[in-house]
Amino acid sequence: MTASVDAGRHRAGPAFLTSPGMRLVGKRLLLAVPIVLGVSILTFWVLNLIPGSAAQQLLGPEATPAQVRALELELGLDRPAVLRYLDWLGGAVTGDLGQSLVSRQPVTDLLGERLAVSGELVVLAFVISLGLAVPTALLAAHRPNRLFDRISMVVSITGLSVANYVLALLLVLVFAVQMAVLPAIGFVPLSQGLGENLRSMALPAAAIAFPLYCFYTRFLRGDLVDQLQGEDYVTTARAKGIGPWQVLVRHAFRNSAFGLITVVGLNLGSLIGGTVIVEQIFALPGIGQLMLQAINTRDFVVVQACVVVFAVVAVLANLLADLLYAVLDPRIRYGSR
Amino acid sequence: MAVVDAGPALVEPATAPARSRGWVGSLAVAVPAGAVALIALACFVGPLVLPVPPPIGGSVLESYLPAFSPGHLLGTDPNGNDILARILYGGRSSLIVAVTVNLIGLLVGGTLGALSGFAGGVVDTVIMRVLDVLIAFPSLVLTLAVAQSLGPSQTNTILALAFFSIPAFARISRAATLRLRELPFMAAAGLCGTPGWRILLRHVAPNIAPQLITFGMLGMGIVIVIEGALSFLGLGIPPPAPSWGNMIAQGQQSISATPMLVVWPSAVLFVTVLAFNLLGESLRARWSGR
Amino acid sequence: MRPNAQRLSLLLAALLVLAACGGGGGTAGGTAQPAGPPQRGGELTVLESSSFAGGWPSGLDPATNTTGGANISQMSAIYGGLFLLTANDDGSDPRVVPNQAEGYELLDGGRTVKITLRDGIRFSDGTPFDAQAVVFNLQRALASPCSCKPTWPLADGGITAQDARTVVLTFTRPYAAVINSFPVANTNWIASPTALQKMGEEQFRINPVGAGPFTVVSNQLSSLLVLQRNPTYFKPDRPYLDKLTFQSIGGDQPAYQALLAGQAQAYEGLSTTPLLEQAQSSGRLTVTVQPPTSPYVIQLNTKTAPFDDKRAREAIYRATDFDSISKGLFRGLYPVSQSFTGPGGLFHEQAVPGYPTYDPEQAKQLVSRLGGLTVELGTLNGYVAQQVMTALQTQWQAAGITVTTKNYELSTLVQQFNSGQWQSMLQTAGAWDPASGVGVGFRFGSTSPFSGVADPQLDQLLDGAAATVDPAGRQQLYNEAGKYISDNAYAPFGLAFAAANIATPGVYGPGLTTKIPPIVVNAGVIWDEVWRVQQQ
Repeated sequence: MTASVDAGRHRAGPAFLTSPGMRLVGKRLLLAVPIVLGVSILTFWVLNLIPGSAAQQLLGPEATPAQVRALELELGLDRPAVLRYLDWLGGAVTGDLGQSLVSRQPVTDLLGERLAVSGELVVLAFVISLGLAVPTALLAAHRPNRLFDRISMVVSITGLSVANYVLALLLVLVFAVQMAVLPAIGFVPLSQGLGENLRSMALPAAAIAFPLYCFYTRFLRGDLVDQLQGEDYVTTARAKGIGPWQVLVRHAFRNSAFGLITVVGLNLGSLIGGTVIVEQIFALPGIGQLMLQAINTRDFVVVQACVVVFAVVAVLANLLADLLYAVLDPRIRYGSR
Repeated sequence: MAVVDAGPALVEPATAPARSRGWVGSLAVAVPAGAVALIALACFVGPLVLPVPPPIGGSVLESYLPAFSPGHLLGTDPNGNDILARILYGGRSSLIVAVTVNLIGLLVGGTLGALSGFAGGVVDTVIMRVLDVLIAFPSLVLTLAVAQSLGPSQTNTILALAFFSIPAFARISRAATLRLRELPFMAAAGLCGTPGWRILLRHVAPNIAPQLITFGMLGMGIVIVIEGALSFLGLGIPPPAPSWGNMIAQGQQSISATPMLVVWPSAVLFVTVLAFNLLGESLRARWSGR
Repeated sequence: MRPNAQRLSLLLAALLVLAACGGGGGTAGGTAQPAGPPQRGGELTVLESSSFAGGWPSGLDPATNTTGGANISQMSAIYGGLFLLTANDDGSDPRVVPNQAEGYELLDGGRTVKITLRDGIRFSDGTPFDAQAVVFNLQRALASPCSCKPTWPLADGGITAQDARTVVLTFTRPYAAVINSFPVANTNWIASPTALQKMGEEQFRINPVGAGPFTVVSNQLSSLLVLQRNPTYFKPDRPYLDKLTFQSIGGDQPAYQALLAGQAQAYEGLSTTPLLEQAQSSGRLTVTVQPPTSPYVIQLNTKTAPFDDKRAREAIYRATDFDSISKGLFRGLYPVSQSFTGPGGLFHEQAVPGYPTYDPEQAKQLVSRLGGLTVELGTLNGYVAQQVMTALQTQWQAAGITVTTKNYELSTLVQQFNSGQWQSMLQTAGAWDPASGVGVGFRFGSTSPFSGVADPQLDQLLDGAAATVDPAGRQQLYNEAGKYISDNAYAPFGLAFAAANIATPGVYGPGLTTKIPPIVVNAGVIWDEVWRVQQQ
């Protein structure tokens, strides 16, 4: 995750792209700047609305208002929000996200290791959910409204209507407590072996992946069915005598992939902060937990940094989706048909 | 929380032709619509006509009663409140939150999106960039901020969730409007000198409404589930007032010892979300043929 | 579609029930008796709830850790302690014994205390653990922002080093509770001044250096603390464990499951009654319910309306039925107390003469005489406290009182107290010795920011009790204070609650699998004595 953030900042696009692609990257990155700026301003404003200050937290309940004010002065919390924001921005542009108000650690240190945990969690969840959703949707769309389609629909809606913390606890009960095949809690870093690392991430990733899987399956299946029933190219292909599977996979799916990519791009960006519940249940040292704690201790420097990281990831994910879209442009694919 | 942002792409290009209509199609709409109506009726009218106790104010001496206890069909919760009553009253909260959030999203987001798509140019850029900021802003921060500065309540839960449903509706509405703009009748209206607001109201609104309503149906389920996630973090509808979400969130605290506290509200939640999803699906199939 | 859906939800229900029943079978759990003598070696992972002991956002330096009262386990594993609270295995005869200190003397009628340090202790960085170091630490600790700093009536310049092994504390008035106040306070944890200076405060709070049984390997704030055996620990052959890990987890249910799955071996502070019962009946875990020291108390703010009126306070006493709450919510596991300590605490008094007990009729009369009563009741966010608050709301409303409830985070709770705008607060934490920590002075003294009472007469009683060296005399004064609180209807007390510890089989240790009265919420585990049966 961190690598891609840096890549974004230095505006290095994938080298294989043609020059229109490069122009698109440039344009999108320019558009991303005001978005990230907007998010950081919005965060600053919202955080200012929350009552209580880190100074009060640090000094404890017996501090006199004068002591609190003195520490606020020292931490620079007394200055107008606009000035503080500009200060922060000045640091952020040079890669300095400041120092945690509560633990006095550099925010970049706090973020680094935790971002890796949450990032891996999200990426795994996407790999699992997409890897399963695509075949399921294809099978379901192959014969719409038949048994498999119906079953997959009920499964999907189950996934969308079960709270993910309930799902997480159930997964632990079944796979960790009853069957004892996977660990119930904890994170094993990659440095201790890929196998152990993946085992420790299996249940949390599954808890996040299942609702996503359900969502993608329904989305893709619906789109595929519409494509099969309506599009001219499908009719043409069928008239040429191409088999139903070929039509489904080579033609309809290629077209439906665009919508899917857009959804995934949107999800990927917003999910990175949404893992907090799963992190709590599985005792994972992720960024969601960090942010929740930081809000509770009024450590706004950390919150601000987390939010900006989320925003950058969200914007980059969307950008990636757009790029894939451009690479797979239908006019190129289907124009030469 | 993430799923709500994914909304826009749920609505496909309006190019698919009519699917099977006739009585099968009607039934596909009528059955889930009936189920939704039945659930709403049970929650809003049920407690008035059925002999159920109030959802709060039970005696702690009747805590943890099993299902089919006398006077408590589904048993009681740790505070001795009747679970059936809590499900019915909790349904009111959950449904009110879901309907209001989607309604706000539909009206505000729908208008912004239509305006953006119809006007184009600077208006479009400004509106869409602001909405992009909202999409990139983590919902958790805002929700926590709202809950901690204004206190958790039903109104504040609605506010926080509506904030995130607006961009989703706006994107759908804009995409639909853009497609409409290319159709001949719109150009004709423009040539006749009809004022913009009139075109928006008379031509755009009725044509994009079906897509927005369809998405709203799917959004109902999503919002009900997300309210539960907020309750898990102590931010949703504050107990002791019930909602399906906070019942599940409280029950999971001892799920291995008292699983039924989670099973009952989860089952009702499941049926409701299923009904809304089926309804949305059938409406989409119906309207996509326009 | 409908039959499918139905079947699926049934399946889901079945799965849940199946999973729930999985824990059954086996014999009843209880205090575990080790099969043989303690064994050396092994690793232990201990879980702590993220909302309490599992949160250490400001690090583990005794002088800057603002949540020290919650992190007693982590702190004593790293620093040990000058004194320790210990007890017999069944929790009887609890007493504070010297640990890194060798002994103490109360002089001058309790105005002076002389603490002698053990000879030859060194911090894990090799520097000497001497009186200079202790004085340095005590001064830092007393200037700390933690609510876990002691409230000593210290004289000016009252902390001095008499010689290399003797520290002298001088008070403005006799203070008999001083030694008992150590295990609850950050003055108990002595950090290496040299290491602190070398690293700087900012690094030290992440990688602190003490003279305790374990040293820090890695510390990820509020999530994971990895410790290893301190080879230079002053007690021979201690600690038993090679490695000790503290991990933060989001609540009782996931912690319970993690223990069953074998990813951790102990969890401190289980408070969800159905899970406690399940753990006890399943026989797969050792369950240790600590002797309760701290009764629930409903603090009433007598400095502002409506509770500046004694009739309003008495209405609350009369409307409150903790016996029912204990029976219903807590399955009768905990006794109800009428005064400020529970059966496991010092100077416990089960019944206070003339205590205004539950009497709904009288409550209604009082409310109608007041012309109605509207109150706001708050508590610190937590599943069990929330349930008790809801039960209280129901009981009070039955007596005609209009009640709104509010959940606070620790930060907003502190703010609410500072504002003075609060009306009533349900509190769960308490103390073993009423004169120390979150004791009766903390809740009822005029100078405490967490008190709703400002009554010089009560202050005098409490200060007098804290000053009295003779236990019988102290008991007498506390009984008077308990009666005074009850007579003035200052705050009704409730069930004396203590959280439980759960551990997997083969794990033993004082405070973990034996009973020691809780210090604030959890018992102070004596980590250098904790051991684990080695898997062959």
